[in-house]
Amino acid sequence: MPTILTINGEQRVSSRGPMTPLVDVLRDEFFLTGAKSVCREGVCGACTVHLDGQPVVSCLVPIGTIGEREICTVESLAAAGEPSPLQQVMEEHDVVQCGMCFPGILMVLTGFLRERPHADRDEIKAALAGNVCRCTGYERLVDAAVALARA
Amino acid sequence: MPATGDDRLFMAGTVADALAALAERGSEGAPFAGGTWIMRAPIRREAQAPFYVGVGRIPELNAIDVAADRIHIGASVTHARLAAQLAGVAPCHGLATAAGSAANPAIREMATVGGNLSTSDFSAADLPPALLCLDAEVELATTGGRENLPLERFLATRRDLDPGTLVTGVTILRRPVLTGHARLPLRKAGDYPVAIVSLAVQLNQNGVVEDGRVAVGSVESSARRWPGLERKLVGHPLDPRQAEALAEAELGAFTGRDGVEAPGWYRVQVLPALVRRAAQAALRSRS
Repeated sequence: MPTILTINGEQRVSSRGPMTPLVDVLRDEFFLTGAKSVCREGVCGACTVHLDGQPVVSCLVPIGTIGEREICTVESLAAAGEPSPLQQVMEEHDVVQCGMCFPGILMVLTGFLRERPHADRDEIKAALAGNVCRCTGYERLVDAAVALARA
Repeated sequence: MPATGDDRLFMAGTVADALAALAERGSEGAPFAGGTWIMRAPIRREAQAPFYVGVGRIPELNAIDVAADRIHIGASVTHARLAAQLAGVAPCHGLATAAGSAANPAIREMATVGGNLSTSDFSAADLPPALLCLDAEVELATTGGRENLPLERFLATRRDLDPGTLVTGVTILRRPVLTGHARLPLRKAGDYPVAIVSLAVQLNQNGVVEDGRVAVGSVESSARRWPGLERKLVGHPLDPRQAEALAEAELGAFTGRDGVEAPGWYRVQVLPALVRRAAQAALRSRS
Protein backbone atom coordinates (compact mmCIF):
# COMPACT_ATOMS: atom_id res chain seq x y z
CA MET A 1 0.00 0.00 0.00
CA PRO A 2 1.52 3.37 -0.98
CA THR A 3 2.12 5.93 1.76
CA ILE A 4 1.19 9.58 1.18
CA LEU A 5 3.59 12.04 2.75
CA THR A 6 3.68 15.84 2.85
CA ILE A 7 7.27 16.87 2.32
CA ASN A 8 8.30 20.52 2.16
CA GLY A 9 4.74 21.48 1.30
CA GLU A 10 4.26 18.95 -1.49
CA GLN A 11 2.37 15.68 -1.41
CA ARG A 12 4.57 12.73 -2.31
CA VAL A 13 3.70 9.07 -2.62
CA SER A 14 6.13 6.46 -1.35
CA SER A 15 5.99 2.90 -2.54
CA ARG A 16 8.14 1.67 0.33
CA GLY A 17 6.70 -0.35 3.22
CA PRO A 18 5.31 1.48 6.26
CA MET A 19 8.15 0.42 8.57
CA THR A 20 10.75 1.98 6.22
CA PRO A 21 12.72 4.70 8.02
CA LEU A 22 11.87 8.16 6.74
CA VAL A 23 15.51 8.98 6.03
CA ASP A 24 15.70 6.17 3.47
CA VAL A 25 12.58 7.37 1.68
CA LEU A 26 13.82 10.96 1.63
CA ARG A 27 17.20 10.04 0.24
CA ASP A 28 16.60 7.00 -1.95
CA GLU A 29 13.11 7.62 -3.28
CA PHE A 30 12.80 11.41 -3.39
CA PHE A 31 16.52 12.29 -3.70
CA LEU A 32 16.35 14.76 -0.82
CA THR A 33 19.87 13.96 0.28
CA GLY A 34 20.33 16.74 2.83
CA ALA A 35 19.40 14.44 5.71
CA LYS A 36 22.33 12.07 6.18
CA SER A 37 22.04 8.43 7.16
CA VAL A 38 24.91 7.90 9.59
CA CYS A 39 24.41 6.19 12.96
CA ARG A 40 20.85 4.95 12.31
CA GLU A 41 20.11 4.84 16.03
CA GLY A 42 19.23 8.40 16.98
CA VAL A 43 22.57 9.35 18.44
CA CYS A 44 24.30 11.53 15.83
CA GLY A 45 21.46 13.80 14.67
CA ALA A 46 22.65 13.95 11.05
CA CYS A 47 19.25 12.85 9.73
CA THR A 48 17.21 15.40 11.71
CA VAL A 49 14.11 16.76 9.98
CA HIS A 50 11.01 18.49 11.31
CA LEU A 51 7.66 16.79 11.84
CA ASP A 52 5.04 19.48 12.31
CA GLY A 53 7.85 21.85 13.24
CA GLN A 54 9.50 19.63 15.85
CA PRO A 55 12.93 18.10 15.24
CA VAL A 56 13.00 14.31 15.00
CA VAL A 57 15.66 11.86 13.87
CA SER A 58 14.33 10.50 10.61
CA CYS A 59 16.29 7.24 10.92
CA LEU A 60 13.89 6.19 13.70
CA VAL A 61 10.60 7.33 12.13
CA PRO A 62 8.77 4.68 10.08
CA ILE A 63 6.88 6.37 7.28
CA GLY A 64 3.69 4.53 8.20
CA THR A 65 3.46 6.39 11.50
CA ILE A 66 3.65 9.91 10.04
CA GLY A 67 0.12 10.33 8.76
CA GLU A 68 -0.81 13.92 7.90
CA ARG A 69 2.04 15.53 9.78
CA GLU A 70 4.19 17.83 7.66
CA ILE A 71 7.78 16.85 7.01
CA CYS A 72 10.31 19.64 6.47
CA THR A 73 13.86 18.83 5.42
CA VAL A 74 16.92 21.03 5.25
CA GLU A 75 16.13 21.64 1.58
CA SER A 76 13.14 23.72 2.69
CA LEU A 77 15.24 26.29 4.54
CA ALA A 78 16.29 28.08 1.37
CA ALA A 79 13.29 27.10 -0.69
CA ALA A 80 13.02 30.51 -2.36
CA GLY A 81 16.70 30.47 -3.23
CA GLU A 82 17.66 32.75 -0.37
CA PRO A 83 19.49 31.15 2.57
CA SER A 84 17.72 31.46 5.90
CA PRO A 85 19.18 33.85 8.51
CA LEU A 86 20.66 30.82 10.29
CA GLN A 87 22.28 29.57 7.11
CA GLN A 88 23.63 33.04 6.39
CA VAL A 89 25.22 33.42 9.81
CA MET A 90 26.74 29.94 9.52
CA GLU A 91 28.31 30.94 6.21
CA GLU A 92 29.58 34.24 7.66
CA HIS A 93 31.29 32.34 10.47
CA ASP A 94 32.78 29.82 8.03
CA VAL A 95 31.27 26.98 10.03
CA VAL A 96 30.88 24.20 7.49
CA GLN A 97 33.60 21.58 7.33
CA CYS A 98 32.82 18.14 5.90
CA GLY A 99 29.08 18.83 5.92
CA MET A 100 27.94 15.48 7.26
CA CYS A 101 26.41 16.76 10.50
CA PHE A 102 25.49 20.18 9.21
CA PRO A 103 21.96 19.65 7.82
CA GLY A 104 20.90 18.09 11.12
CA ILE A 105 22.43 20.94 13.09
CA LEU A 106 20.60 23.47 10.92
CA MET A 107 17.29 21.71 11.50
CA VAL A 108 17.78 21.45 15.26
CA LEU A 109 18.83 25.09 15.58
CA THR A 110 16.08 26.32 13.26
CA GLY A 111 13.45 24.72 15.51
CA PHE A 112 15.20 25.71 18.73
CA LEU A 113 15.81 29.36 17.83
CA ARG A 114 12.21 29.70 16.65
CA GLU A 115 11.10 28.87 20.19
CA ARG A 116 14.03 30.56 21.98
CA PRO A 117 15.22 33.33 19.64
CA HIS A 118 17.45 34.92 22.29
CA ALA A 119 18.89 31.75 23.77
CA ASP A 120 22.24 32.00 25.49
CA ARG A 121 25.35 29.96 24.76
CA ASP A 122 24.65 27.21 27.30
CA GLU A 123 21.09 26.76 26.04
CA ILE A 124 22.32 26.50 22.46
CA LYS A 125 24.90 23.89 23.46
CA ALA A 126 22.23 21.91 25.34
CA ALA A 127 19.98 22.03 22.28
CA LEU A 128 22.79 20.46 20.25
CA ALA A 129 23.29 17.54 22.67
CA GLY A 130 22.02 15.15 20.00
CA ASN A 131 24.24 16.35 17.15
CA VAL A 132 27.68 14.87 16.70
CA CYS A 133 30.24 16.74 14.53
CA ARG A 134 33.02 14.40 13.49
CA CYS A 135 35.16 17.43 12.52
CA THR A 136 34.69 18.74 16.10
CA GLY A 137 33.65 22.11 14.74
CA TYR A 138 31.39 22.84 17.67
CA GLU A 139 32.82 26.14 18.84
CA ARG A 140 32.43 27.99 15.56
CA LEU A 141 28.91 26.80 14.96
CA VAL A 142 27.90 27.69 18.52
CA ASP A 143 29.57 31.11 18.02
CA ALA A 144 27.48 31.60 14.90
CA ALA A 145 24.23 30.60 16.62
CA VAL A 146 25.02 32.89 19.55
CA ALA A 147 25.66 35.75 17.11
CA LEU A 148 22.25 35.18 15.52
CA ALA A 149 20.55 35.00 18.92
CA ARG A 150 22.13 38.33 19.88
CA ALA A 151 21.28 40.04 16.59
CA MET B 1 -10.95 0.45 10.81
CA PRO B 2 -7.24 0.95 10.46
CA ALA B 3 -5.91 4.42 9.69
CA THR B 4 -2.92 2.82 8.03
CA GLY B 5 -2.34 -0.83 7.46
CA ASP B 6 -0.38 -3.51 5.70
CA ASP B 7 1.35 -6.69 6.68
CA ARG B 8 3.76 -5.10 9.18
CA LEU B 9 2.10 -2.05 10.72
CA PHE B 10 -1.37 -1.09 11.77
CA MET B 11 -1.90 2.42 13.11
CA ALA B 12 -4.62 2.20 15.73
CA GLY B 13 -7.04 5.07 16.25
CA THR B 14 -8.38 3.92 19.60
CA VAL B 15 -7.29 1.68 22.45
CA ALA B 16 -10.00 -0.80 21.46
CA ASP B 17 -8.60 -0.95 17.90
CA ALA B 18 -5.10 -1.49 19.24
CA LEU B 19 -6.15 -4.26 21.62
CA ALA B 20 -8.12 -6.04 18.92
CA ALA B 21 -5.14 -5.93 16.55
CA LEU B 22 -2.73 -7.11 19.24
CA ALA B 23 -5.09 -9.95 20.21
CA GLU B 24 -5.42 -11.02 16.59
CA ARG B 25 -1.64 -11.19 16.08
CA GLY B 26 -0.88 -12.83 19.41
CA SER B 27 2.81 -13.42 20.07
CA GLU B 28 3.74 -12.06 16.61
CA GLY B 29 2.44 -8.58 17.39
CA ALA B 30 3.85 -5.82 19.57
CA PRO B 31 2.92 -2.23 20.35
CA PHE B 32 4.86 0.55 18.59
CA ALA B 33 4.87 3.98 20.21
CA GLY B 34 7.83 6.36 19.72
CA GLY B 35 9.95 3.73 17.99
CA THR B 36 13.27 5.00 19.33
CA TRP B 37 14.28 1.55 20.56
CA ILE B 38 12.54 -0.68 18.04
CA MET B 39 13.87 1.18 14.99
CA ARG B 40 17.47 0.73 16.11
CA ALA B 41 17.13 -3.05 15.90
CA PRO B 42 18.56 -3.51 12.38
CA ILE B 43 21.80 -1.64 13.09
CA ARG B 44 22.18 -3.65 16.30
CA ARG B 45 21.38 -6.89 14.51
CA GLU B 46 18.40 -7.48 16.72
CA ALA B 47 15.09 -8.88 15.55
CA GLN B 48 12.01 -6.76 15.10
CA ALA B 49 8.55 -8.18 15.71
CA PRO B 50 6.79 -9.51 12.61
CA PHE B 51 3.93 -7.06 13.17
CA TYR B 52 3.49 -3.78 15.01
CA VAL B 53 0.44 -1.94 16.27
CA GLY B 54 1.10 1.80 16.25
CA VAL B 55 -0.32 3.45 19.37
CA GLY B 56 1.34 6.86 19.12
CA ARG B 57 -1.67 8.68 17.69
CA ILE B 58 -4.39 7.37 20.02
CA PRO B 59 -5.87 10.47 21.72
CA GLU B 60 -6.54 8.71 25.04
CA LEU B 61 -2.92 7.65 25.29
CA ASN B 62 -1.68 11.18 24.61
CA ALA B 63 -3.51 12.81 27.53
CA ILE B 64 -2.03 14.09 30.78
CA ASP B 65 -4.73 14.57 33.43
CA VAL B 66 -3.70 16.55 36.49
CA ALA B 67 -6.30 16.24 39.26
CA ALA B 68 -6.10 17.46 42.84
CA ASP B 69 -5.13 14.08 44.24
CA ARG B 70 -3.53 12.25 41.30
CA ILE B 71 -1.93 12.60 37.90
CA HIS B 72 -2.59 10.22 35.04
CA ILE B 73 -0.14 10.13 32.16
CA GLY B 74 -1.09 8.40 28.92
CA ALA B 75 1.41 5.84 27.67
CA SER B 76 2.06 7.66 24.37
CA VAL B 77 2.97 10.97 26.00
CA THR B 78 6.48 11.88 24.89
CA HIS B 79 9.33 12.87 27.15
CA ALA B 80 9.23 16.41 25.74
CA ARG B 81 5.55 16.83 26.59
CA LEU B 82 5.99 15.29 30.00
CA ALA B 83 8.83 17.69 30.81
CA ALA B 84 6.89 20.71 29.53
CA GLN B 85 3.54 19.93 31.12
CA LEU B 86 4.72 18.69 34.51
CA ALA B 87 7.31 21.42 35.12
CA GLY B 88 6.20 23.16 38.28
CA VAL B 89 3.48 20.58 39.04
CA ALA B 90 3.98 19.03 42.50
CA PRO B 91 5.34 16.49 43.21
CA CYS B 92 6.82 16.06 39.74
CA HIS B 93 10.05 18.05 39.89
CA GLY B 94 12.13 14.87 39.70
CA LEU B 95 9.98 13.30 37.01
CA ALA B 96 10.04 16.44 34.85
CA THR B 97 13.82 16.60 35.25
CA ALA B 98 14.10 12.95 34.21
CA ALA B 99 11.93 13.49 31.14
CA GLY B 100 13.65 16.73 30.17
CA SER B 101 17.21 15.49 30.45
CA ALA B 102 16.96 12.00 28.93
CA ALA B 103 18.75 11.33 25.63
CA ASN B 104 18.68 14.38 23.34
CA PRO B 105 16.00 16.87 22.21
CA ALA B 106 14.99 15.00 19.05
CA ILE B 107 14.65 11.69 20.90
CA ARG B 108 12.63 13.40 23.62
CA GLU B 109 10.16 14.50 20.94
CA MET B 110 9.62 10.87 20.00
CA ALA B 111 10.25 8.53 22.96
CA THR B 112 7.18 7.81 25.09
CA VAL B 113 6.41 6.99 28.70
CA GLY B 114 4.97 3.59 27.82
CA GLY B 115 7.92 2.69 25.64
CA ASN B 116 10.43 3.79 28.24
CA LEU B 117 8.82 1.61 30.91
CA SER B 118 8.24 -1.38 28.64
CA THR B 119 11.71 -1.65 27.14
CA SER B 120 13.14 -4.24 29.47
CA ASP B 121 16.58 -4.22 27.84
CA PHE B 122 17.00 -0.47 28.44
CA SER B 123 18.78 -0.37 31.79
CA ALA B 124 19.65 3.34 31.60
CA ALA B 125 16.06 4.58 31.27
CA ASP B 126 15.38 7.73 33.30
CA LEU B 127 11.65 7.42 33.92
CA PRO B 128 11.54 4.15 35.95
CA PRO B 129 13.54 5.46 38.94
CA ALA B 130 11.67 8.79 38.90
CA LEU B 131 8.32 7.00 38.84
CA LEU B 132 9.36 4.38 41.43
CA CYS B 133 9.90 7.23 43.90
CA LEU B 134 6.37 8.43 43.26
CA ASP B 135 4.82 4.99 43.91
CA ALA B 136 3.49 4.99 40.37
CA GLU B 137 1.03 2.42 39.12
CA VAL B 138 1.07 1.15 35.56
CA GLU B 139 -2.24 0.59 33.79
CA LEU B 140 -2.34 -2.47 31.55
CA ALA B 141 -5.11 -3.27 29.10
CA THR B 142 -6.16 -6.37 27.21
CA THR B 143 -9.37 -7.22 25.41
CA GLY B 144 -10.44 -8.72 28.76
CA GLY B 145 -10.22 -5.44 30.68
CA ARG B 146 -7.78 -3.19 32.49
CA GLU B 147 -5.73 -3.57 35.62
CA ASN B 148 -3.25 -1.49 37.59
CA LEU B 149 0.07 -2.84 38.75
CA PRO B 150 2.55 -1.17 41.08
CA LEU B 151 5.48 -0.08 38.91
CA GLU B 152 7.88 -2.21 40.93
CA ARG B 153 5.87 -5.30 40.08
CA PHE B 154 5.50 -4.25 36.46
CA LEU B 155 9.27 -3.87 36.08
CA ALA B 156 9.78 -7.35 37.54
CA THR B 157 7.25 -9.00 35.23
CA ARG B 158 7.36 -6.92 32.03
CA ARG B 159 9.33 -9.50 30.06
CA ASP B 160 6.57 -12.03 30.57
CA LEU B 161 3.43 -10.03 29.79
CA ASP B 162 0.76 -12.00 28.00
CA PRO B 163 0.63 -11.35 24.24
CA GLY B 164 -2.00 -8.73 23.50
CA THR B 165 -1.20 -6.65 26.59
CA LEU B 166 -0.85 -2.89 26.14
CA VAL B 167 0.51 -0.37 28.64
CA THR B 168 -2.06 2.44 28.52
CA GLY B 169 -0.82 4.81 31.19
CA VAL B 170 0.75 5.59 34.52
CA THR B 171 -0.91 7.05 37.61
CA ILE B 172 0.81 8.81 40.49
CA LEU B 173 -0.72 10.10 43.70
CA ARG B 174 0.03 13.70 44.56
CA ARG B 175 1.63 13.10 47.93
CA PRO B 176 3.29 16.07 49.73
CA VAL B 177 6.84 15.04 48.85
CA LEU B 178 9.87 16.85 47.52
CA THR B 179 11.48 15.11 44.58
CA GLY B 180 14.84 15.29 42.84
CA HIS B 181 16.53 13.43 39.99
CA ALA B 182 20.27 13.23 39.33
CA ARG B 183 22.00 11.42 36.47
CA LEU B 184 25.57 11.01 35.33
CA PRO B 185 26.23 10.82 31.61
CA LEU B 186 29.88 10.65 30.61
CA ARG B 187 29.45 13.56 28.23
CA LYS B 188 27.64 16.63 29.53
CA ALA B 189 24.46 15.41 27.84
CA GLY B 190 23.20 13.26 25.02
CA ASP B 191 24.51 9.85 26.03
CA TYR B 192 23.21 7.22 28.41
CA PRO B 193 23.80 7.93 32.09
CA VAL B 194 26.08 5.46 33.84
CA ALA B 195 23.99 5.86 37.00
CA ILE B 196 20.75 7.58 38.03
CA VAL B 197 19.34 8.44 41.46
CA SER B 198 15.79 9.64 42.06
CA LEU B 199 14.57 10.68 45.45
CA ALA B 200 11.23 11.63 47.05
CA VAL B 201 10.99 12.68 50.69
CA GLN B 202 8.20 13.83 52.92
CA LEU B 203 9.39 16.35 55.51
CA ASN B 204 7.57 17.29 58.70
CA GLN B 205 7.16 20.90 59.81
CA ASN B 206 10.66 20.83 61.34
CA GLY B 207 12.22 19.69 58.08
CA VAL B 208 12.82 16.14 59.33
CA VAL B 209 12.34 13.28 56.87
CA GLU B 210 9.20 11.35 57.81
CA ASP B 211 9.11 9.11 54.77
CA GLY B 212 11.52 8.62 51.93
CA ARG B 213 11.92 6.86 48.60
CA VAL B 214 15.20 6.45 46.76
CA ALA B 215 15.46 4.62 43.45
CA VAL B 216 18.50 3.81 41.37
CA GLY B 217 18.65 3.35 37.62
CA SER B 218 21.30 2.20 35.13
CA VAL B 219 23.47 0.56 37.80
CA GLU B 220 21.80 -2.85 37.56
CA SER B 221 19.79 -4.30 34.69
CA SER B 222 16.57 -2.72 35.93
CA ALA B 223 15.79 0.26 38.15
CA ARG B 224 14.92 -0.51 41.75
CA ARG B 225 14.37 1.09 45.14
CA TRP B 226 17.13 1.45 47.75
CA PRO B 227 15.31 0.47 50.98
CA GLY B 228 18.41 0.42 53.19
CA LEU B 229 19.13 4.07 52.44
CA GLU B 230 15.46 5.03 52.65
CA ARG B 231 15.30 3.74 56.24
CA LYS B 232 18.42 5.66 57.22
CA LEU B 233 17.13 8.96 55.84
CA VAL B 234 14.05 8.86 58.07
CA GLY B 235 14.28 10.80 61.33
CA HIS B 236 16.92 13.29 60.17
CA PRO B 237 16.74 16.63 58.39
CA LEU B 238 17.37 16.23 54.65
CA ASP B 239 21.00 17.24 54.47
CA PRO B 240 22.64 16.48 51.11
CA ARG B 241 26.09 15.85 52.62
CA GLN B 242 24.68 13.56 55.27
CA ALA B 243 22.62 11.73 52.66
CA GLU B 244 25.80 11.22 50.66
CA ALA B 245 27.57 9.75 53.70
CA LEU B 246 24.62 7.47 54.46
CA ALA B 247 24.63 6.27 50.86
CA GLU B 248 28.34 5.50 51.09
CA ALA B 249 27.61 3.06 53.90
CA GLU B 250 24.87 1.31 51.91
CA LEU B 251 26.68 0.67 48.62
CA GLY B 252 26.76 -3.06 49.27
CA ALA B 253 23.15 -3.16 48.18
CA PHE B 254 24.15 -2.94 44.50
CA THR B 255 26.11 -5.04 42.04
CA GLY B 256 26.91 -2.82 39.10
CA ARG B 257 26.53 -4.10 35.57
CA ASP B 258 29.59 -3.98 33.35
CA GLY B 259 29.20 -2.18 30.05
CA VAL B 260 31.28 -0.59 27.32
CA GLU B 261 30.63 2.87 28.72
CA ALA B 262 31.48 2.06 32.35
CA PRO B 263 32.47 -0.89 34.52
CA GLY B 264 30.05 -2.03 37.19
CA TRP B 265 32.14 -0.83 40.16
CA TYR B 266 32.18 2.70 38.77
CA ARG B 267 28.40 2.85 38.49
CA VAL B 268 28.15 1.93 42.18
CA GLN B 269 30.87 4.30 43.35
CA VAL B 270 29.20 7.39 41.87
CA LEU B 271 25.92 6.73 43.70
CA PRO B 272 26.70 8.73 46.89
CA ALA B 273 27.47 11.85 44.85
CA LEU B 274 24.25 11.38 42.90
CA VAL B 275 22.29 10.96 46.13
CA ARG B 276 23.74 14.30 47.28
CA ARG B 277 22.76 15.96 44.01
CA ALA B 278 19.27 14.48 44.05
CA ALA B 279 18.78 15.75 47.63
CA GLN B 280 20.02 19.20 46.61
CA ALA B 281 17.62 19.21 43.67
CA ALA B 282 14.73 18.17 45.91
CA LEU B 283 15.49 20.98 48.37
CA ARG B 284 15.82 23.51 45.53
CA SER B 285 12.41 22.47 44.21
CA ARG B 286 10.79 24.09 47.27
CA SER B 287 11.72 27.57 46.10
